[in-house]
Amino acid sequence: MDSADDARRWRRRDRASTAGLLSGPLLWLLLFFLAPVIYVAVYSVGGIKIFPNDTGVLSLGDWKHFLVGGSVYMGLFWKSIRIALTVSVIVVILAYPVGYFLALCAKKRKYVLLLLIIAPFLTSYLLRVLAWEVILGDSGVVNAFLSAVHLRSPDHPVTWLLNSQFSVILVLAYVWVPFVALPIFVSLDNLDGSLLEAASDLGASRLRTFLRITLPLSLPGVIAAFVFVFVPTIGEFVTPLLVGGPRGYMYGNAIADQFTKSTDWQTGSVLAMFLLLVVAALMVLFGRYVRVRSVAA
Amino acid sequence: MASDFDRLIAKRLRRRDFMRYAGIAAGAGVLASCKKASTGASPASGSPRPPIAQEPGGLKVFDWAGYGGGEYYPKQEVQVFTDPYKAATGDTPTFVLFDDDDKGYTKVATGNAPYDVVHPCAYRFKDYVALGAVQPWDTSLIKNFSQLSPLLEQFGQIDGQQYFIPEDWGYIAPMYNADHVQPQEDSWSLLWDDRYAKRIAWINTLEMLVIAGYYNGVADPWTMTDDELAAQRDFLISKKDLVSFFWDFSYDFWLKFKRGDVWIGYAWPDAYGYASAQGMNAVYMQPKEGRIHWSCGLGLFADSQNYFHAHEYANTWSSAKAAAFLESYYYYGHANTTVDTSKLPTGVVKALNLDNLQAALSPPLSHPESWISRRDVYQQYWQDVKTA
Repeated sequence: MDSADDARRWRRRDRASTAGLLSGPLLWLLLFFLAPVIYVAVYSVGGIKIFPNDTGVLSLGDWKHFLVGGSVYMGLFWKSIRIALTVSVIVVILAYPVGYFLALCAKKRKYVLLLLIIAPFLTSYLLRVLAWEVILGDSGVVNAFLSAVHLRSPDHPVTWLLNSQFSVILVLAYVWVPFVALPIFVSLDNLDGSLLEAASDLGASRLRTFLRITLPLSLPGVIAAFVFVFVPTIGEFVTPLLVGGPRGYMYGNAIADQFTKSTDWQTGSVLAMFLLLVVAALMVLFGRYVRVRSVAA
Repeated sequence: MASDFDRLIAKRLRRRDFMRYAGIAAGAGVLASCKKASTGASPASGSPRPPIAQEPGGLKVFDWAGYGGGEYYPKQEVQVFTDPYKAATGDTPTFVLFDDDDKGYTKVATGNAPYDVVHPCAYRFKDYVALGAVQPWDTSLIKNFSQLSPLLEQFGQIDGQQYFIPEDWGYIAPMYNADHVQPQEDSWSLLWDDRYAKRIAWINTLEMLVIAGYYNGVADPWTMTDDELAAQRDFLISKKDLVSFFWDFSYDFWLKFKRGDVWIGYAWPDAYGYASAQGMNAVYMQPKEGRIHWSCGLGLFADSQNYFHAHEYANTWSSAKAAAFLESYYYYGHANTTVDTSKLPTGVVKALNLDNLQAALSPPLSHPESWISRRDVYQQYWQDVKTA
């Protein structure tokens, strides 16, 4: 009897402590994530009036115009998807050898090297991006070199290096590679070494072992890496703002402009909600292929 | 990790209950935010004002980035804008800065601007008054007001009341590096001269539509119809490939101009001032279509508790000392007309046409940067240019 009471008391205490532990984070999410999202969603259908030009009348007109009304923003969205896809593929291709080397070749030095690879994250993001302006500018390092080796005249520098889609893709790839190497590294580090030994014992070549064992087993890490880049890059706006110029303008910039340069927050809300919904759908889709534990350190 | 969390939620707090509580909390948040937004800009009460000694002080100034923050000339700004105010009131102002007028207005309109004084430009004045965010000044409390240009004063008058005290002004005009650029004529057309592709900078605002309007002969580019706007949009899109970048900060434009990344740009006078100080062969053009002139002024928030402090601050800004500082360091004009122009750098007097202010600030030499009633429509057309 006593032990049953103890068990009940223990369960009650357990429930109370769990609720106590969860209440803080839940409240945080409710106040600073869910409530703002609901606010923006309501704004997107005209349910909130802040500016004199807001109607304050519920309407799906802005949604309709955006989705089927030939809005310029839909084209911009697809442009951003294209850029995000390009960046993600490039980054994964570049990051995979880094993760592979760290997990399977670096042995005891792997954590030291890992630290070195993520060292750029210890510096300012803005500084890292702005440094590219010095490198890629008309009078920057690359053009100065081309001029020095007489491949270009100083008066006719390569102008597409900066303020272009190229510069946005290059800089984003540079920014993401160290970050994306991590899930690939974790995925490969967790690989059962005996499988590789067995393949070797059975006479498989290194390429065949890689294609049949290493790559398939590291795919969750690769997909996670892809998602880590793809999702934030769709809504990216800082890098295009700094190095994108007129041609590097992306969907995230349009959202930012709607909220800062314009008082048409309803359109801005539609754009933001659409992005959120697309990202949520992508997360669900990718979630089916990624087991979080397999890529979590 | 995520699955553990889900299990915990499912076990300890039934999902339906969770969603119910979440909905209640989120709804309450939305309602609270709505209420805040709608009450953000309350009008001044009719109660009698306490004397300056009984005001709380700690004047909060909502100003352009650069001013007050002391990013460019910290020592001089303190001497000119802060010290005289401190001497008169014993108070030290604090500054909250905005990047541009649109961002500043947006913040005020959302009710997130608990400040005393704001410093927008004339094309936004009517919007602030329409919001009920500002109250008229009592110009008799501003000793230096009589020294200000009546021409500029009128930009701050709405419904017969002085809602804004005019202070700084300047031009918008093409600037170019004469070492590399030989314009075929003095015209805004330099901003889309295909001989200088990728050496041109435009500003990142809808005013590019207005510039195109002046260039293309629109009668009043500040009140364009949809057809006129569409024509300017298509024109700018056709020229967009010539542009190296759109600038958001005048200083960014100056840095690229200095490095030689661009040779031509839509420019404010400060960029010309920097170029002149560096000895660059820069020309601040007087285009045949006319420059645009902007003017900015101080507004007094409707719910300010520092009414008399704010007037002292406006008086400091309106002084000849403040004017000389702005003209000498920023190459901006100032509404105070008592400055001895012989003591200013010769370049600034010529660049700003300070010898004949009346003519300089009137067509055909320049057009005032005006309030645009359909600003959001203009903005949408400008967005079309950027996204094209």
